[in-house]
Amino acid sequence: MATLLEHYPARSGPAVVNACPGPGDTDDILVRGAQHGDRAAFGILYDRYARMVHGILLSRVPVSVAEDLVQEVFLQALPRVASLRDASHFPGWLAAIARNAANDYYRRAKPALELHDDSGDPETRRRALDIPRSSQCNAESLAVLEAIRSLPDAYRETLVLRLVEGMTGPQIAARTGLTHGSVRVNLHRGMQQLREILSRKASPATGGDL
Amino acid sequence: MTTPPNDEQKKEPNANDVYLWDATGAPDAEVQRLESLLADFRYSDRSLILPAEVPEVLHRSRGQLLGFPRVRLAAAAVVLLSLTFGAYFLLHRADPEDAGSRWKVSSLEGAPHIGSQAIAAGSSTARFRVGETLVTDSASRASISEFSFGEIRVDPDSRIRLVQSGPDRKRIQLEVGTIHAAIWAPPTQFIVDTPSATAVDLGCRYTLQVAPDGSSTLRTTLGWVGFHLNGRDSFIPAGAMCSTRPEIGPGTPYFEDASPSLKDALIEFDRALPSTDAASRQLDIILKEARARDGLTLWHLLSRTNGPERAQVYARFSALVPPPAGVTRDGILQLDPHMLDLYWNALGLGDISIWRFWEQNSNPHAAPTLQKPILKKQM
Repeated sequence: MATLLEHYPARSGPAVVNACPGPGDTDDILVRGAQHGDRAAFGILYDRYARMVHGILLSRVPVSVAEDLVQEVFLQALPRVASLRDASHFPGWLAAIARNAANDYYRRAKPALELHDDSGDPETRRRALDIPRSSQCNAESLAVLEAIRSLPDAYRETLVLRLVEGMTGPQIAARTGLTHGSVRVNLHRGMQQLREILSRKASPATGGDL
Repeated sequence: MTTPPNDEQKKEPNANDVYLWDATGAPDAEVQRLESLLADFRYSDRSLILPAEVPEVLHRSRGQLLGFPRVRLAAAAVVLLSLTFGAYFLLHRADPEDAGSRWKVSSLEGAPHIGSQAIAAGSSTARFRVGETLVTDSASRASISEFSFGEIRVDPDSRIRLVQSGPDRKRIQLEVGTIHAAIWAPPTQFIVDTPSATAVDLGCRYTLQVAPDGSSTLRTTLGWVGFHLNGRDSFIPAGAMCSTRPEIGPGTPYFEDASPSLKDALIEFDRALPSTDAASRQLDIILKEARARDGLTLWHLLSRTNGPERAQVYARFSALVPPPAGVTRDGILQLDPHMLDLYWNALGLGDISIWRFWEQNSNPHAAPTLQKPILKKQM
């Protein structure tokens, strides 16, 4: 929508034409709108990026914490977005805030929440992942999530975005700012390693439950 | 994502990963199984909760700097100076409703007046202050502009009073006459009171006309506008119009390209008493004539009908505009607010959460720090 580009010509200049921000607008337009204090534009950015932020967080922090941290990430981003010089950097900038929020969580939380439990007991896993008892998640899904989270950073984030958040490779690339090639390789290698882990856990010799 | 692959690694993927890559091609059974298992962890449909006021940018080093005695001393001096100047400002400040006012009035034709001051065509602009009234006679037109907010062109025979001009809220009263507003401020910050409704800008251009009897007509040319009176709301997107009547409030909006029969029937429907034979006859015509685009009108009629009539409206509306996920017939017939909002957003005419945010924040009884969801994930 060219009219919005005219609407937000520069952060300090007068606007010329008015129009509403909408879901069809580009990130660039929405970021500039948010920089002008347009909450609706920021809301659309939230709608567009919440899953990406959640995926990054879920690959690092307990399940029950991730959703609240999504809100926290956007609340941190809102007052800072005006300082973002290049709107095209928004995806990477937001992802960095999300990773920092996850790191901050562990600085505040007890080390016991770190997720490296190999007991195989579903209840122990549930506690380690901090999932409420009322959750519908079953033991198998918990074990798979745990396996993904044991992968290197690059693979675990990409796999969570693909398998949990349901984003496609091109969407992941667009939302994270990574190239298609990088996302494709992360998916391929991450999936390969995940299959190996799940296969090992499923083997009776290892006492796994998958 | 912190360890991007090298060039050699980038050559690895092959055609077998097509489904993993973009969920197309032959499904990979293992990937599908994992997707199904992990769907429970997916981000839920949560609203973003924003504070009423956005805090200033936080500087990471602030806390560390304050640890040094010298900096603490300097900070104390700054605070002292701020308090001194603050006290001076409080004693000498202008009307708070006029804070930041930069409204300028210029003549486009003839000699409009602000109070007793005439503004001649071609002369310098005059400042428009809170509490003042701008009047155009039959031979004059005026332009009211504000650098960061927008421009209002005033037609002949109009009276406008400036009610509020705070940094986040501008409010005028259009007592009579016609204005053409082009507002580039964020949505909901520009409000026009008329004798029969309040028009809230949601990011747009529109024309508002108030007749001597207090009735008004609003036509939107870009974006959309909310019309409001005593809990009765109408939303008027670009290409649509809506009339209001004193003490009754906003009528039912419709697109100007709707069939003449629909428009005539709608006018009669709005005039008729609810649930009367007269209203029922007009409703039949409206439903018969409605196109998918007239979902705008049908959505409003859901809350302006009762019982069997509402069920009739829903039947036609849902046939023309399929209800989105999360919306049920029973919910709509019971006027479930969330479902009505979802259905409105499905029309693609504007995000209603902006309006809900304004409603919350315009409530004089609401606490200043009250938080409000501004956006549902489903838009």
